[in-house]
Amino acid sequence: MATLKINNLSKTYANGVKALDDINIELSNGMFGLLGPNGAGKSSLMRTLATLQEADSGTAFLDDIDIFKDPTELRKVLGYLPQEFGVYPQITAYQLLDHMAILKGIVNGKERKQLVEYLLQKVNLFSKRHQKVKGFSGGMKQRVGIAQALIGNPKLIIVDEPTAGLDPGERNRFHNLLADVAEDVIIILSTHIVDDVTELCSNMAIMNTGKMVYQGTPQNVISELNGKVWQKIIERNEVNEYKTNYTVISDKMVAGKPLIHVLSESNPGDGFESIAPTLEDVFFSKINISEKASV
Amino acid sequence: MFKEFFIKELGAALQRPMLYIFILMMTLFGALMVIFGETIGSTGNEYANSPHTITGIIAAFSLLSLLISTAFFNNAALRDFKYGFNEILFTSPIHKFGYYFGRFSGALLLSTIPLLGIYLGFMIGAIIGPLSGQIDAERIGAFHFETLLNSYFLFIFPNMFIAGTIIFAMATKWKNTIISFLGTILIIVVNSISGTLTSDLDNETIGALIDMFGTDAFSIDTKYSTPSEKNSQGALFGGLLLLNRIIWMVVGSIILALSYFSFSFINKNQKVKKTKQVDTSNSAIKMSRPGVIGVFNLKTSISQFKSFFAINFYSIVRSNLFKILFVISAVILTVSLWGGFEYFGLQSYPVTYKMMDVINGIVGLFVLIVLVFFSGELVWRDRDSHINGVIDGTPHSSLISLLAKTISLICVGVCLNVFFIVAAIIYQLLNGYTNIELGVYLQDFIYKALPMYVIWSSIFVFLQVIINNKYIGYFISILLIFLLDILMAIFEFRSNMINIGSSPSYTYSDMNGFGAELYASNWFNFYWVLFAVLLLVFAGLIWVRGTTFGLKNRLKSAKKHLTPKYAFGLAIISILWIGTASFVYYNTQVLNSYESSDKREADQIRYEKELKKYDGIAQPKITSATYKIDIFPEKRNFLAKSGLILTNETSEIIDSLHFIVDAGWEMKLHLKNAKIVFEDKDLGYLIYQLNTPLVPNEKVALVVEAAHISKGFENNVSNSFVAENGTFINNFAILPSIGYSDAYELGDKQKRKKNDLPVKERMPKLQAECGKSCHVNYLSNGTSDWINVETYISTSSDQIAIAPGTLLEESSENGRNYYHYKVDHKSQNFFNFMSARFEVARKKWNGIDIEVYYDKAHKYNVDMMTAAVEKSLKYYIDNFGPYFHKQARIVEFPRYSTFAQAFPGTMPYSESFGFITNLEDEDDNNVIDAVIAHEMAHQWWAHQVVGATMQGATMFSESFAEYSSLMVMKHSVNDDIKMKNFLKYDYDRYLKGRSFEQKKELPLYKVENQQYIHYGKGSVLLYALQDYIGEDKVNNAMKSFLNEYRYVKPPYPTSLDFLRHLDTQIPDSLKYLVTDWFKEITLYDYRLKEANYTELANGKYEISLAVEAYKIKADTIGKESKVEFDDWVDIGVYADEDEKELMYHKRVKFNENEMNFKFEVDSLPTKAAIDPRRILIERNIKDNVKKVSKKE
Repeated sequence: MATLKINNLSKTYANGVKALDDINIELSNGMFGLLGPNGAGKSSLMRTLATLQEADSGTAFLDDIDIFKDPTELRKVLGYLPQEFGVYPQITAYQLLDHMAILKGIVNGKERKQLVEYLLQKVNLFSKRHQKVKGFSGGMKQRVGIAQALIGNPKLIIVDEPTAGLDPGERNRFHNLLADVAEDVIIILSTHIVDDVTELCSNMAIMNTGKMVYQGTPQNVISELNGKVWQKIIERNEVNEYKTNYTVISDKMVAGKPLIHVLSESNPGDGFESIAPTLEDVFFSKINISEKASV
Repeated sequence: MFKEFFIKELGAALQRPMLYIFILMMTLFGALMVIFGETIGSTGNEYANSPHTITGIIAAFSLLSLLISTAFFNNAALRDFKYGFNEILFTSPIHKFGYYFGRFSGALLLSTIPLLGIYLGFMIGAIIGPLSGQIDAERIGAFHFETLLNSYFLFIFPNMFIAGTIIFAMATKWKNTIISFLGTILIIVVNSISGTLTSDLDNETIGALIDMFGTDAFSIDTKYSTPSEKNSQGALFGGLLLLNRIIWMVVGSIILALSYFSFSFINKNQKVKKTKQVDTSNSAIKMSRPGVIGVFNLKTSISQFKSFFAINFYSIVRSNLFKILFVISAVILTVSLWGGFEYFGLQSYPVTYKMMDVINGIVGLFVLIVLVFFSGELVWRDRDSHINGVIDGTPHSSLISLLAKTISLICVGVCLNVFFIVAAIIYQLLNGYTNIELGVYLQDFIYKALPMYVIWSSIFVFLQVIINNKYIGYFISILLIFLLDILMAIFEFRSNMINIGSSPSYTYSDMNGFGAELYASNWFNFYWVLFAVLLLVFAGLIWVRGTTFGLKNRLKSAKKHLTPKYAFGLAIISILWIGTASFVYYNTQVLNSYESSDKREADQIRYEKELKKYDGIAQPKITSATYKIDIFPEKRNFLAKSGLILTNETSEIIDSLHFIVDAGWEMKLHLKNAKIVFEDKDLGYLIYQLNTPLVPNEKVALVVEAAHISKGFENNVSNSFVAENGTFINNFAILPSIGYSDAYELGDKQKRKKNDLPVKERMPKLQAECGKSCHVNYLSNGTSDWINVETYISTSSDQIAIAPGTLLEESSENGRNYYHYKVDHKSQNFFNFMSARFEVARKKWNGIDIEVYYDKAHKYNVDMMTAAVEKSLKYYIDNFGPYFHKQARIVEFPRYSTFAQAFPGTMPYSESFGFITNLEDEDDNNVIDAVIAHEMAHQWWAHQVVGATMQGATMFSESFAEYSSLMVMKHSVNDDIKMKNFLKYDYDRYLKGRSFEQKKELPLYKVENQQYIHYGKGSVLLYALQDYIGEDKVNNAMKSFLNEYRYVKPPYPTSLDFLRHLDTQIPDSLKYLVTDWFKEITLYDYRLKEANYTELANGKYEISLAVEAYKIKADTIGKESKVEFDDWVDIGVYADEDEKELMYHKRVKFNENEMNFKFEVDSLPTKAAIDPRRILIERNIKDNVKKVSKKE
């Protein structure tokens, strides 16, 4: 059982943006979902954990590996799929994975061949292994990406927005892959798609403007909002009015009309009906509230 | 719409630093060119900022600024695609015209800006230069706004336009940076093709037109420009240049138009590959996950390295670019070899060293530029492919990745180089040359190219890593290649330990192999390779891993990467490097030191200021000499012991002897009954006081020991003439000079002025009543006259040692060969001592031994050489008088110098001078005849009569020798047109030479040892003279002159003495020729305006010519003035288009600017011409010829 401990992690960029603001997390095996809007600091956190960026202060330990002091040790047990995963031109899927396997210390040729072929089977690209990766579709590329992240028994796997741009079928396949390995390792999955977390993660956190605004299990956080979320379909010109009068956590269009969710301890009346809260409500409530607080 | 895109293009660039960096660098360079103009730029009569210099620099920099334009045009064409903005942009209502040309014009204007920096730099330099004292104010001329305007519109704008159209078109078509780079390479190739063509006199016009940048057209247009013209005008809208510009602007416009019409907002090139969606998820065999765990040890690192290397190198090799590079290489090589190895219109055999020179010439620039490009590609590869996140997160050491990239880069160079070698061998075989020396190619590659690739690849990678901006990295890399040598020259750093990657450059010689330089070169290479490795190891620390921005942060994280193991490695390499550096330093600075040029200059100044007082004091002359020479070729040691008899030939009593000894030779003087009273070791000046002064005609014996002992290795081999195989030393090297000699004084005009030294004439003025100054001749410089000489010379048992004279004795003992030579007639004390493994060809002609000593690889022309010696002996004995030696020897020496020289009866020839020229085609110019006959002629002209040291002296050695050899040739070919074809090289030599005159152009009879005058002009004028007054008349004048002065004691004759003899042979009607040709600088400017014919009733043809004629007198810097004239000039007609058959010519009187001539010929000619055999000096002869057309 591996544990990842992050203490007081902070990072401010040269332009003054606080990417990480005193982050504290403790994780063990299983899938950890990191939710947050664009620019929340998710990628900064993941890059920092993947030893690709340095923090200004704070510590991070995977078991007894000090990630910042000894990045090479961490890299030996790290699987990382960055948000932007490109490939070399001219290189086939097999060549790429073979190269990555060597970089991850799989030196024995026979073992490596077995492993690479296994992974190609696993991500369902075995039949295309001798095609150039450059010509692959987005989903296929992501599968190559996850395959390389799985090389060499990693203890920590970091996947940054892996499902962005995938069609539903690809996304499902991808989820299955992750779920397969999640039992034995820590997987940190960042996403802005709420369903990814709902479907996969036992633990989660919500980030906004560099801060952790929530950390816990999805069930707990949803139950916090039990009986407090109300919805109503309104006219488009009424949106601003409702926003001043209620704590609107989200508004989206349903059949051309705004459907608003508001947060209220008691029934606000006025045609609102009570609904069971979803993770999405949690997400928006946490973010919108934290934004308001920071104004 | 156009305006928006245009302005946006400019605006985007103005906000980024690249443009400013480029401008700054160009400005800096321009300023340095002026400030240090005397060290690196033009010297002499041309201003450091003359319009010609500025234009030349701007034109030359077009090539370097290709990189700038590549950056701008590539950006303009691809920016929207790179950022994926194209789809948004192209769906908005913009016009194709505005978009396309707005972008293009913006990039075009931007590309032209940096080059203006050069002009600005020249202006700044012209102000700072004189203030800083680096350059004399006299050397700065006025600025002409016209220069800026003309060079902008003739070079900067068109060049950027042409390059831009190609790069922009390729970029928009293929949307790929690599392809744009290919465009750049293409341009470089075209440029090098024209460069090769231009170097050959017969193809220069084509070459000038093909040259995309107009550089060659400019140099051909101005190749005969005089210094005065260069100071007043740069490029002009006219001549070949304008034609070239028009051609290329049209080509550029066509490319642009084609590109514009094929450009479309709709993306046509996107290939959508149909991928079969086969869902095999269910059919997949379930495999259990192999429980493989990464292992990390040395073996892993090695595997990681291999994998990195494979993946980097593989993708380069697979890329189309790489394949295209081979095509380009083949083109470059073909072009370089197209003209073969031309020399006076003849071909050399493609011996291995010629091929290696070609290869090294190409790879030295072309492959280095390719490496620069790939260095950026490789270093940026992970980031450009967006895979850096994944790769950087794996447990490998950055150094491994970096090493793999560097070695991939080196392999790119190696692949190209091997390709060149294979192609070169194929070329040799195709030319029927079967002596393939694979080993030599291989060694040369290992000694020269390979270290170069290792060193420069590492440096380029290092630069890319530390600069962390691909384009600026490229620019700095290229700048380093081009400017390093110039900077080293400016700051006078001569040590190879400071100039990156440099080592003593060896010259491979068939005789002497890689020579003494090899050992030193290997040590320097080792030193630089270690330095390169050190840079790489350092780069490994600051390599950007992940997202660390700014050098400061990178240095911070470098500390973290510096593990104890890493530090240990770094220390080991540092120690190795420092150790090597110390060893190299010890050898090149301690064991063998060399003087800095500053020190030498200071010594020269001190010499003149302190010792000039001894100039002209009475000293004895050498009246007999016996040389004892021992050569140890394998050790490169040369020991000499010279026994001299000095005689007081003056009328004064001499009480002290003054000597100057050469620091390069360990010299010891033994003089009895004398003591040293003055010794200045730095200057090598010694004064001995004699115990009993020397009265007139009294003799004293002097023994001089001189030695060249090789120790360790030197920064640059100082004396390559002491060689393992092919030693060639002359007696001046091993003897001291006697008395103060002004030859050691500082010569540079500006430096003399700066140091308050009086103006120094290049040579004493020509005087009719010369008195004492005629007692000195320019060969022995007053130290001796005609003397008897003997030589005892020994060498190793496998070599033959040679000195002038008849071989009296020959023996071998103790593994050495001993020879005793004695000269048969008193001669000038001008002797050579040689030793090598020679083959010998002998022939006897009228009691004279004709001998050729040659290397066994160079047997081709030996028979022809003996025949040439025979031919010359015959003509010279018949026309000038007897030959006084019993032998005529030709001796080959290594190609460290390319010349031939005449010593009494013995004539060394460089191996690259005639020995390997292919003379199988008998129709061509027989260069062997010419060069052999020239040196043979010196046995009369220089060795029987020699001029007093003053203006005009070399006229009757060099010009006469050249004339004599032309006469031998004339009788052997018997064809005016062939002679014309040979003489064109002499015309070119003269006209080009005067264009670069540093001080003053002088008329022939006052020539100051200026080669372009005594060889080029002298041969042309004397040839013309024999055509005008008759060969026998000229020969009579020469013979009677020789009769008066042959082997006669001083006073030595002057050119006036020859003119006195010539005067009796010249009819009064032609006396004007002596004034025009010998005493003044005269040029002609003729033009054939019309050439018509009418068929006559008798079946003959009447030819009528309309002629425009001018006669020009030029002053010493080439300022011209037109004069009245009344001259005899030939006119004639050719039967054929190629001007090979001159069917008729006659001499007519030219005395007006516009004239008409008529004459009758039997059959219809093709062309008419003024001066059809080209015997008068004209700058432009193209307008002398015209096709004859039927009279209307």
